[in-house]
Amino acid sequence: MDVVGALQYLAAGFSVATAPENLFYCLAGAVVGTLVGVLPGLGPIAGIALLIPATFNLNATSAIIMLAGIYYGAMYGGSTTSILLNVPGETASVMTCIDGYQMARKGRAGPALAICAIGSFVAGGLAILGLAFLAPPLADAALAFGPPEFFSLMVFGFVVLSNVTGGSLIKSLMMALVGLIIGTIGLDPVSGNPRFTFGQVSLLGGIEFVAVAIGLFGIGEVLVNVEQPAEVLEQRVLVPRFRDLYPSLQDLKESVGAILRGTGIGFGVGLVPGPAPVIATYASYMVEKRISDHPEAFGHGAIEGVAGPEAANNAACQSAFIPLFVLGIPFAPPTAILLGALLIHGVNPGPAMIAEHPQLFWGVVASMYIGNFILLLLNLPFVPLFANILRIPKKVLLPLVMLFCLTGMYSVNNFMLDLWVMLGCGAIGYLMRKWAYEGAPLLLALVLGPRLEVAFRQSLMISHGGFGIFVERPVSLVFLLATLGFLLLPLFRYAVRSLGRRKATAA
Amino acid sequence: MRTRLGIIPALALSVVMAGASLAAEFPTKEVQIVIPWAAGGATDLVFRALAATTSKHLGKAVVVVNKAGGGGAVGYSEVMQARPDGYTLVTAVTPLTILPHQAKTAFTYQSFEPIINVVQDPAMFQVRADSQWKTLPEFLEYAKKNPDMITVGNSGAGGGVHLIALAFEKAAGVKFNHIPFAGGGPSITALLGGHVHAVSCSPPEGIAHVKAGKLRIIALFSEKHFEAFPAVPTVREQGVNFTMGQWRGLAAPKGTPPDVIQKLHDAFKKGMEDPAFVKNAQDMTVNLAYVGPVEFGKMMAADHDRYAKLVQEIKKQ
Repeated sequence: MDVVGALQYLAAGFSVATAPENLFYCLAGAVVGTLVGVLPGLGPIAGIALLIPATFNLNATSAIIMLAGIYYGAMYGGSTTSILLNVPGETASVMTCIDGYQMARKGRAGPALAICAIGSFVAGGLAILGLAFLAPPLADAALAFGPPEFFSLMVFGFVVLSNVTGGSLIKSLMMALVGLIIGTIGLDPVSGNPRFTFGQVSLLGGIEFVAVAIGLFGIGEVLVNVEQPAEVLEQRVLVPRFRDLYPSLQDLKESVGAILRGTGIGFGVGLVPGPAPVIATYASYMVEKRISDHPEAFGHGAIEGVAGPEAANNAACQSAFIPLFVLGIPFAPPTAILLGALLIHGVNPGPAMIAEHPQLFWGVVASMYIGNFILLLLNLPFVPLFANILRIPKKVLLPLVMLFCLTGMYSVNNFMLDLWVMLGCGAIGYLMRKWAYEGAPLLLALVLGPRLEVAFRQSLMISHGGFGIFVERPVSLVFLLATLGFLLLPLFRYAVRSLGRRKATAA
Repeated sequence: MRTRLGIIPALALSVVMAGASLAAEFPTKEVQIVIPWAAGGATDLVFRALAATTSKHLGKAVVVVNKAGGGGAVGYSEVMQARPDGYTLVTAVTPLTILPHQAKTAFTYQSFEPIINVVQDPAMFQVRADSQWKTLPEFLEYAKKNPDMITVGNSGAGGGVHLIALAFEKAAGVKFNHIPFAGGGPSITALLGGHVHAVSCSPPEGIAHVKAGKLRIIALFSEKHFEAFPAVPTVREQGVNFTMGQWRGLAAPKGTPPDVIQKLHDAFKKGMEDPAFVKNAQDMTVNLAYVGPVEFGKMMAADHDRYAKLVQEIKKQ
């Protein structure tokens, strides 16, 4: 499709999206999305699913405009509780906890919240451009990823991302190992036999990622706080000053690069099958830390560590629409639910969708611009309000957090075991905090582990057991070489440095 | 003492009468359908749409609740223990007859009273449009000469379409290399990308691509032709005596009174015939197939036995 043609379509799309009823549904989606993002546990998946019946009487375009709004709206809302309370509002906001919460503890909750909204807005805007102009070729490129390519990509991801926060490497690897082990619980993905379920039927489906995430971060944080002496608990957490509510010029300057890089990473990762927003946030955080000239500030409230991942999860969520619309295949659970919504409205997404339903495709794309703008307007004025949550004394706030975690978690699957897992992980999270173990590698391994295993076993089944399949396929080989290079780089550097020193002493 | 003893039969009588009047008045409150999977799946979408059109025929709201976990086992275990009064129902779907063979579940299909079957989706094999095999005989001939070489993707190990593919290869006397994926979507992606030769699936999986001319149905396991593609022959018409598909219906806990089952059946049947639901189903390309309670029970029993053998076979591998 040529650019001029696309622009004409986009203009037509805007006339669809700015129709009063569509503006209304766009706003409704954005508001609901922000709310489900803010509430821990209740994420975009549940939010969209619950509202599908409400769209039965709408036309397809209005329905998808609203449901899509919930998805990207949740990416805005998810960061709020991460920053204020160290409770990830949904899974893509785990990384935001690390530096966002530290910023809040230093009285900089306002700038952290504001930079999330700004970063999400910029990323959303740029990623929609990609969606509008590059959708068909990108979707075809994504098909090149079969099991072997996927395996090598996962290995690369593991090696690069495992030591996310830069604490002790040994401890990080231990945590990743624990995540891998937890990930094996449930039905064996290849034989269908139960593994490590100890005869418990309720463990057949595996351990819920959201429960582990909220437990390790949210409940663990509450428990650590409860230990403090009574007079500390009487106090307010901190009282932000008004002039500190919005980011300074310096903050913005530091964030621009992070936001743009996060957008690029998020957009790319969103095209790969898997839990894109989660992986994109890890990758973005890692990149920011690696290229920063003050990496020691990460984990202690570096604004780039908030801006990058938040931009990344928003971009990933927009680019995830590409495989959905162009291939008709959802790469992640929230888009799977959107696929259901499309089908229920008689739209069969696939290679022919853009041609068959131009009004819907371009209308939805245009509505995303409007939706992102609405979200920015919606979120920035609320920054002072949200920041004021921290004025509540801890002895009131902490039980409330606990309550939100419990109800939020139960609302995801209505499943009691999830609550026990969350509480158990809360206790473990408390101990981990005491002994300085990071939760992030565990969560990453829990997400990637089962996928890594499946891709590995699928590849070997296809090749009848031959390991050559991983190096014979070019894309897979490239990722494996990159992994090797990444592992050898420190050795190489060390060798060059010691060689240089020897030369220097020789001379 | 005597008076007290006299109370007991009176109480018992009043309980019985209350029971009878309960059935006559049913329903007096909302009816809940438990879906043992997360929101957004095919079963979820079908029954949310059906709940919307059935409420007016039942006179009370029909609400859908997702109780995911344990690959469906959690929801079934919970409904099995629910009060058998007709207010808690569960979606009876093919995995109900598979799960009890894979793990020690407390339930089988016999823990439930069948109410109605709503959907019966044909299972099928799809290949890429540019595949070297144009017809089923060509496909099977290659498979016979090259056992274990044709890779066939499925939506998950031990899941419905995996077991159907295993049953088909036995019926056809060939051997495929089965590759499990995490869901129907990923298996279709792998087929489109050329990473597997064929995929075992059921609609709406892959249908958009068949319509767009990128994929082709090479083997159709239903008894009748598929409405959306009337020209595609079934495998039985091509000499392989085999039919298998996946069904989605409703059931209530064992012990639910027959007249309550009848009332539910009548209301859901009307809900199924509602033009709004028929259109929704068409849009989703699911195949509506009404089956009454007795026949539905027999269907479940037959598949229960069939899957028992198939699951034993993959466990041996």
